[in-house]
Amino acid sequence: MAQAVLQGILLGGVFAVVGIGMSMIFGIVKLANLAHGEFFILGAYLSMLFAGQLDISPLLTLVIVVPLMFVAGYALQGALINRVLGMGDEPPLLITFGLSFILQNVLLLIFSADPQTLKTTYQLKTIVVSDSLIVPVLYLVNFIVGALVILILGLFLRFTYTGQAIRAVSDDNMAASLMGISVKRSYSIAMGIATSTAAVAGVVIGTTFTFYPYTGSEYLLVAFGVVVLGGMGSIPGTLVGGLVFGLARTIGSQVFGTNYQMMIGYIILLAMLMIRPQGLFSK
Amino acid sequence: MSRRMKTEYGVFAVVLAVLFVLPLTGAASDNAMRIAFNIALYAVFAQMWNLMCGYAGLLSLGQQMFIGVSGYATAVVCTSYGMPFVLGLLVSGVVSALLALFLSVLLLRMRGLYFAIATWIVSEMIKILFTGWKLVNYAGGMTIRVTPYPTLSQQFMLILALAAASFLLVQAMLRSKIGLGLAAMRDDPDAAAGLGVNIFKMKTLCFTVCGFVTGIGGSIAYLNRLSVFPNGAFAIDWTIAIVFAVIIGGTSTATGPIVGAFVYVLLFNFLSRYAGYSNIILGVIAIAVIVVAPKGIMGTLQNRFKFELFSSTRPSLD
Repeated sequence: MAQAVLQGILLGGVFAVVGIGMSMIFGIVKLANLAHGEFFILGAYLSMLFAGQLDISPLLTLVIVVPLMFVAGYALQGALINRVLGMGDEPPLLITFGLSFILQNVLLLIFSADPQTLKTTYQLKTIVVSDSLIVPVLYLVNFIVGALVILILGLFLRFTYTGQAIRAVSDDNMAASLMGISVKRSYSIAMGIATSTAAVAGVVIGTTFTFYPYTGSEYLLVAFGVVVLGGMGSIPGTLVGGLVFGLARTIGSQVFGTNYQMMIGYIILLAMLMIRPQGLFSK
Repeated sequence: MSRRMKTEYGVFAVVLAVLFVLPLTGAASDNAMRIAFNIALYAVFAQMWNLMCGYAGLLSLGQQMFIGVSGYATAVVCTSYGMPFVLGLLVSGVVSALLALFLSVLLLRMRGLYFAIATWIVSEMIKILFTGWKLVNYAGGMTIRVTPYPTLSQQFMLILALAAASFLLVQAMLRSKIGLGLAAMRDDPDAAAGLGVNIFKMKTLCFTVCGFVTGIGGSIAYLNRLSVFPNGAFAIDWTIAIVFAVIIGGTSTATGPIVGAFVYVLLFNFLSRYAGYSNIILGVIAIAVIVVAPKGIMGTLQNRFKFELFSSTRPSLD
């Protein structure tokens, strides 16, 4: 059990990154991006492509994958989603739903439905703490990457002009726009950040679990769970949400078997939606 | 009934009668019958999704839960217990309606977006439960054995009858006090509640009707498919297809779901020769429609040419 708790915490750091982009878009653009899971898994596939072509470690491919995904997210928001934002709740939601379907099928077409993993040199290494407690290096590295992403994003939002502008838009986009901030550009940057953080999460998850073109929707629900648990746009909340989902998954898998590993997470999520849909950490 | 409505329902009855007689003439090939079956099937599902999303403001991404549960209910009743199909059909409808009723208590307090995701999560949870359930043969799936097995023509007549019934049901609901309440709720939920519209009751009714009819449709769908597996039965793909049909046809229009089902099935059939690309093309078309003509085919036509088929939102023009 201690082992499950440890792995759950380490996994939670990554789950927080799965959710953080979704949380930003939720908080800033007020949109549930149903294609978030596909951006996540697209990151894993891109990394696989570059790691294979250039013969480098998946973590190193982040140098290429992150900017690429940022541009993709920025362009997507600017060219497509910003255009339908004034049309009510449903059109933007359905656009991202359509996008998720398209991306899934594009991945299927290019990479086939075969299960894939990203191979690393440290995937089997462990640090033995005691007889009953082993730290897999893979999980540790993933956790560190996750923590770094959250730290950098937190500093960016707090201390840079662009970050502050994004937060201002999130609080009150009318007031922000009167102060000379371009709301739509802030949305695009936020989406770029969301897609690139999703891709980082995809790469680290890809080194740990097998993935298919369909894996995205499973992690969309994780991301959504993290958002609902943590409250939209809250970084500490996202961390807590990630930890809860990481623990729910590893403990659920240990207690109820792998078929039911997502069940506890889903139940927590539904309960949260019923009792406190604005999240634990929202203002 | 105004003269205009008489004409509309007269045309509706004639078209329905022709479609009913069509398989008896033997003029339609098996392939044409299969396409016709699917159009009617998606017309049923789309009609119900439109009732939820277009009129009750409930965007559901979990229609697959009703379809999947019904497929399994049919398999258990007909295959495991050897009962006649009619019973499987009824059990499917009732179980789906009860599921919707139960979920109403849990989910209907949530706002739009949360409701959408919650319905999807519940579907995933039901899939997990069915994958681990001995009664339904775990992940191995079940076959559906019905004796005597209805011919394709009979299946078509069955689903056509359901499609017609679901259309008339939605029309009847919209014309009653329920429709008035729904319209008020859509325009201003707070004001509607203040004037005595019981929003929760309205939504529960719509959700339960949707569960019942979608369940019966699901049962007929799996009668046609002959086997049911958890991954396929509870796949989000069902909802994707339904949403596509309604968007293309026109949300919140009476005939949109039927037109959408027609377009979706024909397009799907045509694109199936481009394996791998077909879903991508469907997705691109859907997004293009949302951006260019968010009201769909019927909504855009009705706006452009100032008419409304089977109007229930305002007094007739004559």
